This record gives sequence, structure tokens and C-alpha cells, in this order.
Amino acid sequence: MAWRNLWRSRRRTLITVASVFFAVFFALLMRSLQLGAYDHMFRNAIESYTGYIQIQNEDFWDDKIVDNTFAFTGDLEKRVSACNNILATVPRFESFALANSGNLTKGVLVMGIDPEKEKYLSNVKNRLVRFRLSDSAIAVLSRSGMPVDLKKRLVLLRGNSYSSPASLLSDLGVSDNDSSVILPFFRKYASFSNAYISNGEKGVLAGDRLAKFLGIGRGDTIVLLGQGYHGTTASGKYVVKGIVKLPSPDLDNKILYLPYDVCQDLFNAPGMLTSLAVSVRKNDDDDIRRLMNDLSSEIAPPLKVMGWREMNKLMINQMDADNKSGGVMVLILYLVIAFGIFGTVLMMTSERKREFGILVAIGMRKTRLAAIFVTEMCYIGLLGIIAGIISALPVIYYGHAHPLRFHGQMAKMYEDYGLEAVMPFLLPGGYLIWQSVVVAVIVFIALIYPLRKISRMVVVNALKS
Amino acid sequence: MRTLLVSLFIASLASSASLFSQDLSAREIVTRADNKFNGEKSSIMVMSMTIIRPAWERTVEFKAWSLGHDYSLTLISSPARDAGQTFLKRKSEMWSWNPVISRLIKLPPSMMTQGWMGSDYTNDDILKESSVVDDYVHVIEGEENINGRPCYRIKMTARENASVVWGHQLRWIDKNEFLVLKAEFFDEDGNLVRTETGSDIKMMDGRNIQSKMEIIPADQPGSRTVVIIRDIKFNAPLEEAFFSQQNMKNIR
Repeated sequence: MAWRNLWRSRRRTLITVASVFFAVFFALLMRSLQLGAYDHMFRNAIESYTGYIQIQNEDFWDDKIVDNTFAFTGDLEKRVSACNNILATVPRFESFALANSGNLTKGVLVMGIDPEKEKYLSNVKNRLVRFRLSDSAIAVLSRSGMPVDLKKRLVLLRGNSYSSPASLLSDLGVSDNDSSVILPFFRKYASFSNAYISNGEKGVLAGDRLAKFLGIGRGDTIVLLGQGYHGTTASGKYVVKGIVKLPSPDLDNKILYLPYDVCQDLFNAPGMLTSLAVSVRKNDDDDIRRLMNDLSSEIAPPLKVMGWREMNKLMINQMDADNKSGGVMVLILYLVIAFGIFGTVLMMTSERKREFGILVAIGMRKTRLAAIFVTEMCYIGLLGIIAGIISALPVIYYGHAHPLRFHGQMAKMYEDYGLEAVMPFLLPGGYLIWQSVVVAVIVFIALIYPLRKISRMVVVNALKS
Repeated sequence: MRTLLVSLFIASLASSASLFSQDLSAREIVTRADNKFNGEKSSIMVMSMTIIRPAWERTVEFKAWSLGHDYSLTLISSPARDAGQTFLKRKSEMWSWNPVISRLIKLPPSMMTQGWMGSDYTNDDILKESSVVDDYVHVIEGEENINGRPCYRIKMTARENASVVWGHQLRWIDKNEFLVLKAEFFDEDGNLVRTETGSDIKMMDGRNIQSKMEIIPADQPGSRTVVIIRDIKFNAPLEEAFFSQQNMKNIR
């Protein structure tokens, strides 16, 4: 009976279904976009710094001193590499030291890396400075045939270093169309010759800001002094082989990359590492969790397997906080939707008052009427939800494969933090169920009013309407 | 009347005689113990220091020249990694020279609480800005035997205006040789922070001194530092000019 009732008035039914449909559709898209953006952001951050999983000395995380390192044996490497889903093992030796050049000294973060393997994680080689707007470069470029406004902007960017043509052009405000015309100028006059480090050589890469502070350039000597393994003094002299530009200004101001074997030697800790990170083939949550289990069974104390959640607590907190504010936005959306549904239901109830009155008058029990009405709304709700999901899915899949791409200032802001300037949709998951449930709940709440109306109905008055 | 005066006089003489036969004051005991090492004009010592930790052990060998309380020069001879490093103390300042990086570094006050070369012996102890005699109030608390030798137990409480890190100290000083056989160091709240013991009493350069000293921190089980004096020469001819930054770089 409920079903037949629905189709008695097509238009009314469709209006109600439509309000539910739009609710589900927009809620799903909004949530998918928000969650997709977060997912992408943290994956980027994790993949470029800590990696998903690291093996460390069990005391290291709470007290990051050189004494809390572990021995990097061939056996360990073999056992770790043998696990499924491992693309590469990336050794690291991180510590703190004082760096001195001439009369200037600064505390630096010494990162001992494997120059080749690091590409699986933070890809330092890509961060080598390629362009620098030195005074002489700006002088020559100012006399060249470039547009005047560009020359003005050039002067403002004096001294800046860039590790990619894209960031240089973006800072100058050059559009994609003009880039092929403008870039050759910079290649000719503002190129920065650079070099990379290699195992066994006492050469380092310095962050651009750090190099500027200490007044050092390629070929200069830098002296490192620190606390070594087991109370020894760590000291050594190194040549600056190259300059890197890191997107995070904080890191750029204190980073020094060394080959990890040279680093081990500096801190008198031969064969030791602070962490062994892994690079994975498949990075969804399930695969990562499985890999963590596999590794945990291979690794015993004094070593420990650290997951990305533990290592990035601060970032997770920040994202959670942001997520909550996104949740508030979705809540507001629901509020709007709820009123929409409520309004439609209200309209439907008052329209059918006469109908209800007649039914009760001819003998239908009010409870039966209520039951029919509830069933009708259930159908409408179901139809709306299913329709919403079905129409949202194609948009989500498309948005995942072809994410929204940012341009201009927005893109630069993302790239400044080392993130890709995209906003992908998140594939269906838990959130799909949740949104549908919430809409269903809204529908049920909207039912309260008409049900009350029915139970309170005075038949005589209803018949008169 | 006269007899009364005479008897009073004799009585006072007798009591003053007994005063003379009484023990030395606490302050004097501490002074004598301090003079055992620091009372000589100068000294040249060859020492080895072993740092013991629950997970590892390390031994550093060095030679130290000193002139009175104010000047000292230390040269590390072993292990190879640290060999050639020198430390200079002039009055209340300290410098370190590292030949690997050819850098002369003045130790800032912030580094004073850190252990020297990673040991339990802090830079501040080396500077010894506080004088055990002048900066404390000394009281004899009793007598005890340490390793079979009878000792005075003396409590030294830091004076109000003295710049010392300790609230008070307890010292067990040998009655015969005036050697500090044990010392306990307490912070201002009365907590035991460190225990030092002296043992292996040997005749070195004509004096009986403790050739082995152990420094045991109270809050780190399994950690201690053992210093052994291998050789000592007192009153070698050393001048103040010897203790210079130039000499830090040249000394072998």
C-alpha cells in the first residue's frame, strides 16, 4: 500500500526523493574532497621525510642521541628487504652538531644519507639549486630584452635560489605560456653550477639559508663539532660540495647532508645507524599494516619497528584538528539539507491531511496509517540515498584519477611546503556508509512531525480542510 | 687571697694546657688534606681515566701540568681519536684545542656542568672555583674506619655567599696521612648527588697519596669514573707563561 501511495502522486514523491538525493550527493562529494586532500597531504609529507615505517634502536625515539644507534648488519638488511611490499631500504644517520666557518658558528642538523638510496624517500638530488638570482645575474638580466614588470620583480627576488624552473617562474609570476620564452634567459645568466655528494667522500650539501648565514659557497670548508658515540668528541673538516634548497624554511636553515659512512666516522660510530627507513610499493593502509606486522616478526629488541602514525603525531594532530573543522562544515551542510527534507515532508503532510482524515474516518487505525506513512518515507529515503550514491560515485572516481590541480599563488603555497598542488577525491570507504547513515537519521527525525500530526489528528477537522 | 689567685692562675694554665692537647679543628684537618695535593707549588701528573657505563667502557690517558690552584694544562695521549686534544685552565676560564679541526674553543659557562670527555668529572670540578677551605663551614661529626684506616668524619656546609654547587659535603679524612678517603656531595635540598672514594695509597714522589679515585654518581646505577694516577712529580719548575694558548697547540 505504501508503495502504491508513492506513485499516486509522482511529482510529490520525486520532489521528496530529490531533496534526499541532493543531500547525499553533496555530502559525499564534500567529504570525499576533504578527506582526499588530507590523505594526499600526509602521504606526501610522510613519503618525503620519515617514510611509512622505520627501524630504530628501541631507545632512540625518546632520546635521540648518538648512543642510541643500532648496528646495521648485512643480515638485517637482507631480512628486511625480503619482506613483501618493500621497494628499498634507506639507511640514515641523523644527529646534531655545531657547524663553523670563519667566525660564525651555528647548530645544524647533520643528516647522514645514502646518496643514491635517498631518492626513494626525500629525493635530495632534486633539491639541488639550479638557479640563483645573484647580483651579477640580475645586472645582466636587467639589461636584457625581458618585459619591464618582470625586471622589477626580479630586483625584489635578489639572492633567491631555486631548485626547479617551475618555482622560479612561479615566483616571477610568469604564466605557462610565456615560460618557454622567458626561461632561456635564466638558463643562460642565472644558472647555478652544483654537484652532489657520494659515499666515502668528505663532502657535504648545505641548505641554502644555512650557507648564506655561514657565508659559505661551493668549495669552502666547514668544520663540525659535536658529541660522539660513547662520550667521544665528534670533529671533522668537510668541503661544501653543493647547495640544496629545501621547501621548509626551518629545515633549509639548518640542514647539512653527509654520506652516511662519513657521518658514522664523524661521530665515531662505525657501522651504526639512527634509523633504517623503508620505501614501499603499495601504500594503502592495509598494505602498510601488513608490512608492519611482517617486519615486527623479523625485528627483535634492541630494535623496534616504528610506524608513521607514531612518528608523525604532531602532523596527525594538526590534521585531526583541521578535519574537525571540515566536519563542522559538513554539519552545516546537513543542517541546510535537514531543513530541506523537513520542509518537503511538512508540505507533504499538510497536502495529505484530507486524505489521512478520510482514511481514519472510514476505519483505518491510526497506527496502521502511521506505519504506512513511515514505510513510504523509508522508500523515499532509500531511493534518495541510492540515487545519491550512484551519481556521486562516477564523480569521485573521476576526481581521484584526475585531481583538481591548483595554479598560481595557491600552487606556490603548496609547493613551498613540499606538497604536490593537487586535491584528489578519496575513493569510497567508511565515509560513504557514514554519510548515508546520517541522511537516513535526518529522514527519520523529519518523520516525527507528521507522525505527531497523525496521532493528534481530529478527524472532523481534517475532513473539513 | 693570694693563694686563691695563684690557684686560679694555675687552674687556668692547666685548662689551657688541655686545650693544646685537644684535636685539630675541622677546618685545619680539611686544610691539611687539601694541601696534600694542592699545597705544592706545582705538579706534573700522568693519569688514566676509565669511564664505566652499563653498556660500555672507555679509557682516556692524559698528562696534566698544574701550577697552584689557578693554572693547569692537560694533554690527551690516548685513545688515538682524541690524542692531541689539550685543555687549558687559567683562573676561572677554560679553553680546549682540537688538532683535527684546528680550532681553539673557549668553554662557555653553559658547558660547566657537562662531564669532561664524557666522564662524571665535570668541567666545573676541574675549574674548582670553590675552595674547600674558605667556602665552607667545617664541623667534625665523628670518627669512622674506612678500609681499616681511622678517619675523621667532617661535615662541610657551604657558606651563604659562596659560589659552590653543593649544599653540603661529608668528608672522611684519614687521621694519620690526612688523605680524603671518601667524600659525599649533597645538593641544596640535601639529596646525595655524588660519592668519591680514594684508595690504593702509594708513595709517590715522597708523599703518600691515594693513587686511585672513583667518582660514583648517585642517580645512575652502573655508572662511574675511575681515575688512576700513574705518575706524579711535585714542584717541577713551571712558570705561569707555560700555561698559554700558544703552548696548547705546541705541547706534545
